[in-house]
Amino acid sequence: MKSRILVLSVIISLLLASSSGVANPGGKGDNNRDFTCGGSCHGDPSLSALSTADIQISMKSTAYSGTATEVSVSITGMDLSSNNLVGIFLLGSKNGNGDHPEDYGWQIIQDPNGGGSNYVEVISSDGSVSVSWVLLAPMDEGVKEIFVSIHHGSYYNHDNKAYIGETEAFTVDIAPIPANYPTLAEGWSSPDERVSGDSSPIIIRTVNTDDLSVLWRISGESQSHEASVEMVSNQEWEVSIPATLGDTRIEYQIIASMDEFSNQMPWLSIGTSEPYFDGTSLGAKLQSFSFALIILGFMLSLQAWFSPRGVRKEFENTNEVEASLSSDDSAYWSRLIQSDENPGWLWDPIEKEWVADPNIQGGEK
Amino acid sequence: MYAVLFHHMVVGLAAGAGTLMGLCAFLAWLGSYLSNLESSRSTLDKASYAASIFTLVAIPLAMISGYYSVSEPAGSAILYNKFIFSGIATGFTASYLIGRLKFGSDVWNHSALANLQMLSAIFGFTAIMILGSIGSKITLGESTLDILPFWPEFMNSIVINQWISLFLLSIGLVSVIFSLRIANFSGTISDLD
Repeated sequence: MKSRILVLSVIISLLLASSSGVANPGGKGDNNRDFTCGGSCHGDPSLSALSTADIQISMKSTAYSGTATEVSVSITGMDLSSNNLVGIFLLGSKNGNGDHPEDYGWQIIQDPNGGGSNYVEVISSDGSVSVSWVLLAPMDEGVKEIFVSIHHGSYYNHDNKAYIGETEAFTVDIAPIPANYPTLAEGWSSPDERVSGDSSPIIIRTVNTDDLSVLWRISGESQSHEASVEMVSNQEWEVSIPATLGDTRIEYQIIASMDEFSNQMPWLSIGTSEPYFDGTSLGAKLQSFSFALIILGFMLSLQAWFSPRGVRKEFENTNEVEASLSSDDSAYWSRLIQSDENPGWLWDPIEKEWVADPNIQGGEK
Repeated sequence: MYAVLFHHMVVGLAAGAGTLMGLCAFLAWLGSYLSNLESSRSTLDKASYAASIFTLVAIPLAMISGYYSVSEPAGSAILYNKFIFSGIATGFTASYLIGRLKFGSDVWNHSALANLQMLSAIFGFTAIMILGSIGSKITLGESTLDILPFWPEFMNSIVINQWISLFLLSIGLVSVIFSLRIANFSGTISDLD
């Protein structure tokens, strides 16, 4: 009977635990994820609901195979939770598994947050957001599809449901690349970020390019500037873009040319990361203690320097002198004779003089 | 988890005690020049003395709790600076306390030593104030001291090689022992004068 109660209790506990759980309401971070990430946690209809969002995909309906193209996604009308977080998937299908764009030949050069993931999390304060991915089109020709899916919470969401939205397929015709069409080399991707203050050049690898120019601008500004470009080896270019500080993002646009072709690619961006810090825990402790002791030693030295110079102990005879004076005094005072005729005065028979009695002051003892 | 809570509590105590030490020591020093403060000097001296003892207890506790409050205690320049300024605060507070212990309350009657005591207390207080500002930068991203135009950026730090730190530590230790041994501080200043 006891074992049955125990088993029943365990089952009830597990059931209660599962119903109280929610799937990552604070997000899971940018990464390469299949839509099963969203589907497995929120696939149960009791745990999910349809988002009110309107999702629009815009990109060129035709792209040359192996060339850079931009997918822009505009999402509006979202009712978000208090953290204003929305997760956005860029997908090659809606199979739920194996639906990463790279499974369909696309290559992500840059995601909206500067990385190379098909899933990004962004903050939206007004329930709408616009993001874009830069992709390298598949090498195999034909019609390809792109999907976008989102999931987010909601402010009035007592059941802790995930709100899911998804688009229909956006079809792109992958056309054969013209002979000698200049573009980026397969496998090249834009760096996510540079260390603050780092002005080292960016390496860009291309194909079919005999001239490369790069424009750069600070994110949010419209005025662009031309970067200095140097060809370091065959189809490899060093691009000098100014160093950035703080949390500045810098955007750049590559224009690859070959004969009559000029391929103006989408804007890419690079963030700024904090400089590498080489401090260690042990080093910090040692430095802290050394500073404390150096300061203490210095201040104590100053205290010793400024302290009044006392008599050194080996020459200190104060007690002996006081004892000697005290014994001399007692012999002197004992020889003095009191007189009733002259109260307040003592007679010194040796010196033959009157001495004021120290025990009497103002005529009173 | 408890380290964070304990750290929050103990840094408040360290900051309060450090402020009391700095301000009371400054006012006690000022008592030599302002007759209005002369009568309060004994009280101010005792308050700063007690506060310095409490500060010297609270700073190591704050350092230990702070160490266990973060995953990488020296993983960034701003955290590294907390170690450095904790050392500086400890050094100045300890020198103030030792000075007060050695010379007694008469230390304020001796001009040079009174200046030294006041500077120790004020530098200790300033270091604690910087520590608080760094902590505020880490947790809140801003600090009240941001309003100062000359406030230094704590995103960078001076990292000394561990062997040099060890060498400095040895020099500091030797100088502390030497300073304590050579000085004849057996009596108070009034005894010596």
